[in-house]
Amino acid sequence: MDLDRLRRDAAAVLRDGRAKMVIGFRDRAGDRVPAFITDPDGAGELVFDETCLANLAAYLRKAELKRFRPVAIVARPHVCRSLLLLAAEAQIQAADVLVLAVGDQEYHGVLDLAGAAALLNEKYAEIPHDPEVLKRIEEISALSPEERAAFWAEQFAKCTRCYACRAACPMCYCTRCIVEKNVPQWISTAAARHGNYAWNIIRAFHLAGRCTECGACEAACPQGIPLMLLNVSLARGVEEEFGVKAGYDAEAEPLVGSWSADDSEDFIR
Amino acid sequence: MKLIDANKLSDLASALAGAGYRVVAPIEDSGVVRLKEWTEGAAIRTDVIPVNSAKDFLFPPSEVIGHWDIDGDGFTPRDVRPDAPKTVLLAVRPCDAASLALLDTVFNWDYRDDFYNARRQAATVVPMVCTAADAQCFCTSVGGAPDAAASADAMLRSADGGAKFILEPLTDKGSALLGAAGDAVREGEATADPPAEVPRRFDVEAVTDWLSRNFESDLWVTLSLGCLGCGACAYACPTCHCFDMQDEATRRESVRLKNWDSCGFGLFTLHAGGHNPRPDQAARWRQRVMHKFAYIPERFNLLGCTGCGRCARLCGAGMSMSEVCQRIADETRKALTHAS
Repeated sequence: MDLDRLRRDAAAVLRDGRAKMVIGFRDRAGDRVPAFITDPDGAGELVFDETCLANLAAYLRKAELKRFRPVAIVARPHVCRSLLLLAAEAQIQAADVLVLAVGDQEYHGVLDLAGAAALLNEKYAEIPHDPEVLKRIEEISALSPEERAAFWAEQFAKCTRCYACRAACPMCYCTRCIVEKNVPQWISTAAARHGNYAWNIIRAFHLAGRCTECGACEAACPQGIPLMLLNVSLARGVEEEFGVKAGYDAEAEPLVGSWSADDSEDFIR
Repeated sequence: MKLIDANKLSDLASALAGAGYRVVAPIEDSGVVRLKEWTEGAAIRTDVIPVNSAKDFLFPPSEVIGHWDIDGDGFTPRDVRPDAPKTVLLAVRPCDAASLALLDTVFNWDYRDDFYNARRQAATVVPMVCTAADAQCFCTSVGGAPDAAASADAMLRSADGGAKFILEPLTDKGSALLGAAGDAVREGEATADPPAEVPRRFDVEAVTDWLSRNFESDLWVTLSLGCLGCGACAYACPTCHCFDMQDEATRRESVRLKNWDSCGFGLFTLHAGGHNPRPDQAARWRQRVMHKFAYIPERFNLLGCTGCGRCARLCGAGMSMSEVCQRIADETRKALTHAS
């Protein structure tokens, strides 16, 4: 990773006004935490490595940050996909963001959304699902329904309903989430079995066909709930059933939100 | 003095469980060390600061505080009593115990909370002196210490280079616990290990002073840039005590619940008419800091933060109470420099 070039580019986009803010990562006593840089001289504190799991595209929904647009975001391929998907879902405009694109090994430079799409399709068209997660999914799929229910009951029992998973996800941008629908209350907000099941399953399926498998939700969960088992399982299902991988085309109609007259199901016609 | 081999803490847990205590201790659970109810065979991890705090067992995430059976147009209330088994909070941290002064106060200030009080009275608090601290620990900046015994019924002190613990009772509850420990504890001599060195990271009086003059400040936006508005910090915090009341009903019964809530959420202050007096994370973080370092000191002469660092350790967005307080204390210092 050419960190010097990343820092130079970050300083350059701030200096020449292409971005009012760079959002990247800095070091805090060994932790990698988000950095918000408006002064070109501050770009030297940027770092990037494989522990930078937060998906910085989530900051695009933050009201206080709108006045800093256009904003340049340090983005690995999964995060680039989130940005394209946000554009496809009409949440951001191409002019709102620049991408400081980081890959597995290399730094790819400053890109606009079209450039990020080109990079993704050229170099990262086949991002494999996390093999460890796939293995766990196979193991859990092989269990009996009762054993599977017991596994998830144990996982969801840990949930305190802090919604760190939701906050970490760029695609969770609803101004009023289903758990905040309280006139009347749509689903139980108690950190107890019934509501925890409802919350975790609804969160996962609202991301079907929208999750780019960045892993930020699972990394953010203080309780260590294996959310990626649900996310990858659904993403794989969407891929198999609909041939769709989210976040490769900012012009594409989102899977949920589009329909086809040629659909094989009768009910939709 | 009373000693336990460091690798025999489970024997102590077992003896206490046998004597009728619910034993709550730091236990690893699928890669996360958390305070949870000890069961036979679970290894107690004293080397990691648990992700949750001891408050979970005094003020649980969700608690039924009322229950009614509904019959047509009528209803019959059920007698709902606190679920408050005799509990030992074993090998918690001094920063957990430090939070009890505030929780005891706030749950008995204008209204005596029977549910909190029943659990609190049933709890024996046995913190462990910290012999290691990490970059997020800041107890010494908020009046605490890695060997503070405030609100402790007994203390566990690491001794002989971590080979043993000294169990020292401090109250009647602590003596009763020692009595229940039986053979798990033996008489002997050992040398206590030095407590961790926790550097003082900011001057808390400078923070409170700045807060008194800066409700309106552009700095709040800067300080809160990272926050994405979840409740993880509040839920891990040993002193955060806000809750929401919810009624959940079917045609046959209705329960009233006391659920954790957090000022980090937009819904926390959203008015029925649609106005939100805290419209963004800048306003919500200001509340978080003000509550802990201005309002609680003003009202109760206590601090609302024990410097445990849990919030910063788990925040995926990199927010840190000690970092925010350092920045605020720096502002005061800058202002003083300009004035002189």
